[in-house]
Amino acid sequence: MTSEAPAIPGEAVDGGLSKKGLSAGTVGLIGAVVIGISCIAPAYTLTAALGPTVSEVGFQVPAIILIGFIPMLLVAFGYRELNNRMPDAGTSFTWAARAFGPWVGWMAGWGLVSATILVLSNLAGIAVEFLFLLIDQLAGSPGTIAELAFDPFINVAVCLLFMLGATFVSYRDMQTTQKLQYFLVTFQVLVLLVFAIAAFVHTGAGSAFDASAVDLSWFNPFAVSSTAALVAGLSLSIFIFWGWDVTLTMNEETKNPEKTPGRAATLTVITIVTLYLLLSIALLSFAGIGDGELGLGNEDIQTNVFFYLSGPVLGPLAFLVSLAVLTSSASSLQSTFVSPARTLLSMGHYGALPPSFAKVSPRFFTPGYATIVASIVASAFYAVMRFISEDVLWDTITALGMMICFYYGITAFACVWYFRKQWFDSVRNVFFTLLFPLVGGLILAALFVLTLVDSMNPDYGSGSNIAGVGLVFILGVVVILLGVGIMIWQAITRPAFFRGETLSLDAPESLRRRKEAAR
Amino acid sequence: MTGHIVVGYTATKTGRDAVAFAARLAARTGAVLDVAVILPGEGRSVITPPDASYDRLLREQARQWIAAAIDRIPADVVAHAHVRSADSFAEGLIAVADELAADYIVVGAADGGSRGRHRLGTTTSELLHSSDVPVALVPRGARKIAAEAGISRLTVAVGTRPGADALISDAEALARSTGAPVRLLSLLTVDLPPTADTAAIRIAGSTQADEVLEAAQTQLPEGMAADVVVAEGESIEDAVSRLEWLPGEVLLAGSSRLAQPRRLFLGSTAAKMLHEVPVPVIVVPRTRQQEGGEA
Repeated sequence: MTSEAPAIPGEAVDGGLSKKGLSAGTVGLIGAVVIGISCIAPAYTLTAALGPTVSEVGFQVPAIILIGFIPMLLVAFGYRELNNRMPDAGTSFTWAARAFGPWVGWMAGWGLVSATILVLSNLAGIAVEFLFLLIDQLAGSPGTIAELAFDPFINVAVCLLFMLGATFVSYRDMQTTQKLQYFLVTFQVLVLLVFAIAAFVHTGAGSAFDASAVDLSWFNPFAVSSTAALVAGLSLSIFIFWGWDVTLTMNEETKNPEKTPGRAATLTVITIVTLYLLLSIALLSFAGIGDGELGLGNEDIQTNVFFYLSGPVLGPLAFLVSLAVLTSSASSLQSTFVSPARTLLSMGHYGALPPSFAKVSPRFFTPGYATIVASIVASAFYAVMRFISEDVLWDTITALGMMICFYYGITAFACVWYFRKQWFDSVRNVFFTLLFPLVGGLILAALFVLTLVDSMNPDYGSGSNIAGVGLVFILGVVVILLGVGIMIWQAITRPAFFRGETLSLDAPESLRRRKEAAR
Repeated sequence: MTGHIVVGYTATKTGRDAVAFAARLAARTGAVLDVAVILPGEGRSVITPPDASYDRLLREQARQWIAAAIDRIPADVVAHAHVRSADSFAEGLIAVADELAADYIVVGAADGGSRGRHRLGTTTSELLHSSDVPVALVPRGARKIAAEAGISRLTVAVGTRPGADALISDAEALARSTGAPVRLLSLLTVDLPPTADTAAIRIAGSTQADEVLEAAQTQLPEGMAADVVVAEGESIEDAVSRLEWLPGEVLLAGSSRLAQPRRLFLGSTAAKMLHEVPVPVIVVPRTRQQEGGEA
């Protein structure tokens, strides 16, 4: 920009006219719930996580679902505090950098980006399997077409096409109509309900695969065989609630910031927990946890349980489940793309990454460059993993749980530390800025460390290993070390951010103390 | 004229073409340039969670884009920046134009057009079908024309049928404020069924064209000299492609007869012309009084 600017853009921009264009919040209660549910994508989440969770904790899945929600809730409170105090598109990255400085901030951003990239590849993988299953069901050719999904070459090729499509849609910011999205979410919920009821009916009628009577012990976390199993199960259940915090942190975007976010978060979580409990209990009682053909303990079906169970449970209507999982993965693919892209953009913006990451597409107003980079990395990651691991979906889900614990944990601690001067301003602050995020962060940190240690065992998770070391451990460590490596490289080439010149440390002053001083 | 010219800006070559032409027009007419970036409305986001902080970042980015665009235009043009969210590009631009009581909305060709050509994208089409303000369409490469070229000539496409009064009076006003000479253009096409006697059509057509041009000429105030040209060809495209254009020339065309009163609607003839015209085209609504005489 030259110094001889002919006009006075600054003034005109801030004039009354352009301000009128800023809409106030536009999201109502139903809209927020719909966005929340479609971000969590329960149909996709359950089919991907139920099997691995059963393999860890057996019948105690309902208990794990219930207690897995606790750390998520505690951390989400911290998220909300940070979001209200310093709303920023970079979320965890910016907050952690403000609280702990550039290095921790960088790693939090890295954790978020790598977790979402892991889930993107898993989402696309699940979507591919269900696409083939759906075609198979509609064509009435039992098994022949669905089998194609397991040919690694076909699988990777179709998966890359999915990613390409999702990238295109995200890059151009194409949105469906509100009506269609409401319909899809309702459809997803209804299909899951029907699925659960049908499984119960089979169990009641004695036509279930391995009818198991519902028992109160299913809700007892202490009935889980070992602490290691409990930890692994919890780490997975973190994943099934991931995305829920979106409803809680929507604040100024809503029509009524005072009430909508809280109500939307409550409604969403009640819907989701009810669905999860119903379905997990239904499928447990239908199929049991044995390793028979349809048993949830069968390793061959664990990475994608709906894929194998929808036919036996729903018969000719099984295609509805495929359709629900497909649509839920597709819209989740799009909403998930937003988060790494915006974080990468923010990191580029503050100089933590090359400035091209901060580029906004002038036509579609999306973080164009960051979106494409995220997509390429996720695609390459999936393609490589598909050939390394027999159970790529399983391993990515487990590694994902670990990465979520990593960056959510840092974020929770960032909340605690950032508000350190305001902890005792009010009773509310004691809970929301100190106790809740601290306990949540400690739980997640413990889960992270314990999962990391346990996953060194070659038998961990799906049992994939390289040279006798569990693949999940290798994945987690490689991802984190890669982050450290890139961070050091960026610190050498782009030192400004790492000196705190673009994003400085901060801690808001105590309001109470200021008031007292004024007196 | 001390009105407003609203440019629908995007930080692309297309957007730079639009701003460059609008600045030339503004420099000549003394109008204020209003550079507007229209961001997507937040309400339309139903899959991706809305994020107010990202929207703030976008607005900041949009301001920088506009500031950079304004830096490129001549210093004597007064320019203002506008950033707003709307459900569509066209809707946002029309809202800005209405608030400012703007004289023109200027937009560039859609991406993918070749140099010196117009290309209508979905957003420009929407604009052309809903604006109540004259819309200037700027072809690819307009930014390469020197600012000093100004507005060298106004060509007014009067067509072959009567009823172009509003167009003529708009042309007159623009000619007055820019000081540019006027050229009246009538297109004579022989795109009727091949079975018809072409010679007869040509004679009939040419007589009609002459009449229309003559009528148009008499509407122009005295002292405003105007060239008259009849372009002939096998089709509209063919006829237009034979015309010569000056650098800095502008074509004025009327909106279709199908348009609602005071709204634009790009007719088929104008749409065909757009394919071949290498200069900016201003489409003006056919306003109020002419509705009765032509149905």
